[in-house]
Amino acid sequence: MRLRGWWICCVPMLAWGAPVDPVPSVMWAYYHQLFLANAPFVFDERVKLLAPPFAEDARQVPLEIDARAFKGDVVKILAWAELNPLPQIVDFQPMERVLPWLSIRVRIEQATPLRATVLTRDGLWHVGSALIDAAGGGCTAPSVVRTQPGWEDHLGEVLGGRYPRATFSRVKLHVAHPMDNGMVSGIPEFFINHAELRSDDNRLLARMELFPAVSENPNLAFDIEGPGPTRLTLRDTSGSQFEAAIP
Amino acid sequence: MSPRWIMLWLILFSLPVLAELDYGLKPRLIADDTWLLEGSTANFTKDNGGNIVNVGFIVTEAGVVVIDTGPSRRYGEALRQAIARVTEKPVIQVLLTHHHPDHALGNQAFKDVPIGALAGTAELLHAQGDSLAENLYRLVGDWMRGTEVVLPGEVLQAGVKTFGSHDLQLLHLRGHTGADLAILDRKTGVLFAGDLVFYQRALTTPHTPGLAQWQADIATLQGLPWTLVVPGHGPIATDAKPFEQMRDYLTWLDHLLRDGAAQGRDMSELIRSPIPERFATINLARYELTRSVTHLYPQYERTQMQPINTQQ
Ligand SMILES: [Zn+2]
Repeated sequence: MRLRGWWICCVPMLAWGAPVDPVPSVMWAYYHQLFLANAPFVFDERVKLLAPPFAEDARQVPLEIDARAFKGDVVKILAWAELNPLPQIVDFQPMERVLPWLSIRVRIEQATPLRATVLTRDGLWHVGSALIDAAGGGCTAPSVVRTQPGWEDHLGEVLGGRYPRATFSRVKLHVAHPMDNGMVSGIPEFFINHAELRSDDNRLLARMELFPAVSENPNLAFDIEGPGPTRLTLRDTSGSQFEAAIP
Repeated sequence: MSPRWIMLWLILFSLPVLAELDYGLKPRLIADDTWLLEGSTANFTKDNGGNIVNVGFIVTEAGVVVIDTGPSRRYGEALRQAIARVTEKPVIQVLLTHHHPDHALGNQAFKDVPIGALAGTAELLHAQGDSLAENLYRLVGDWMRGTEVVLPGEVLQAGVKTFGSHDLQLLHLRGHTGADLAILDRKTGVLFAGDLVFYQRALTTPHTPGLAQWQADIATLQGLPWTLVVPGHGPIATDAKPFEQMRDYLTWLDHLLRDGAAQGRDMSELIRSPIPERFATINLARYELTRSVTHLYPQYERTQMQPINTQQ
């Protein structure tokens, strides 16, 4: 009897289009306010946030954010891991020639809902979601980079590759950096917090803010339309700047 | 309720729980003097207590030689009892094939016996044993109660070690963990391959030095005068099918990773790769592919990238 009564209460709510969160989350309302300032949003399957079902290595979890369904319409993409002590992952603004697609590896502290939210030009946030299982500890695990003697000499070294596709090319980057998140004993925050892609004639193609949930030795990939060399600029929280040229 | 009733209830409800935590080990004679305790090809669960592993023992004239000790103290103790049910001979030697927790965490039950392993195995168990045990606690729960890492006290080298009439040829290989012992009983032709051979169960790669090394080890093992192969996981075989499956799967995995890196494919894309129909009989292939791509792909990716800094 009581159950039936409960359903009657809910049916009108669903009929009004009350948003149904595709993942079990107790934090959505909190982050909606914190990161999206309570702006209008929809849970939207067209934003694909692809993560493995479980984190085999909680320090290096591969995420793929695919908002190509909104190509030409994207202002920015924000991503976070809800149950991370430091939830924010990235603020990605693809501009000219760069597709609204991004791959990035992150740290996960425990099993958590993940979100990639896409702001379109009409002011609406489209929310993609995923769940990942994890044994945990990715955020508080000691640095691997810092155990390697002479790591400072390689700081900011960038490995890159460009791989042609039918209508664009994929650019993959690997950056040597400990990405200290301030959570491992005695080591203060020290991470790459800003990246830019520019064309040969210095036009801004994409801008990206990175947060300490990004894995050490960051791995990033973008899809770029059109030919021509691309320049990458990275900046870390100590003010160091690293430059690279993608052929 | 009176205390007596409470006691009765406690007994009634706790008995089935205790009974469930019984590995039910039943040794099976697979060759002269040679017994096998075959685990399931599943993953670690709270139902199987980590009994996913093949453990063997050889009853020689001089005493019993045990090959791997299982995933927990409880398993190790049950193993000893199982051995005592088939022979009165004492256990005189433990040989560990490698340091993985499902093979070496039963050591506590054999503290009175020389436990032999390759030097690399002892080092790896020393370095990783506690965290591997902790992870197994998380996966299988109460079965692990009281389990602690016991390091091997005897360093084994490649060569022949004789127990009674059984000449055991010890091989020092590397493909699965960097220190992998395979054991060929020259008297019976039984080859204990350890985790260098998985059969009908997807292989695991967290500590492999590389798939090429593993392929070379498979060739070495297949070339031995064996008559029966005991894989680390999965059913035994009297034909070469376990080697063929290993070679096929390793080749497929290597090509998947190499081609993926050359094409700039994303790690999460590779994790979602289709698994060929011919591997449909291999348990946990999807699960282990997720793990293997995570372990191995970064090295493959880096070979397909160049330094591109313009200034430092
Ligand atoms: Zn193993």
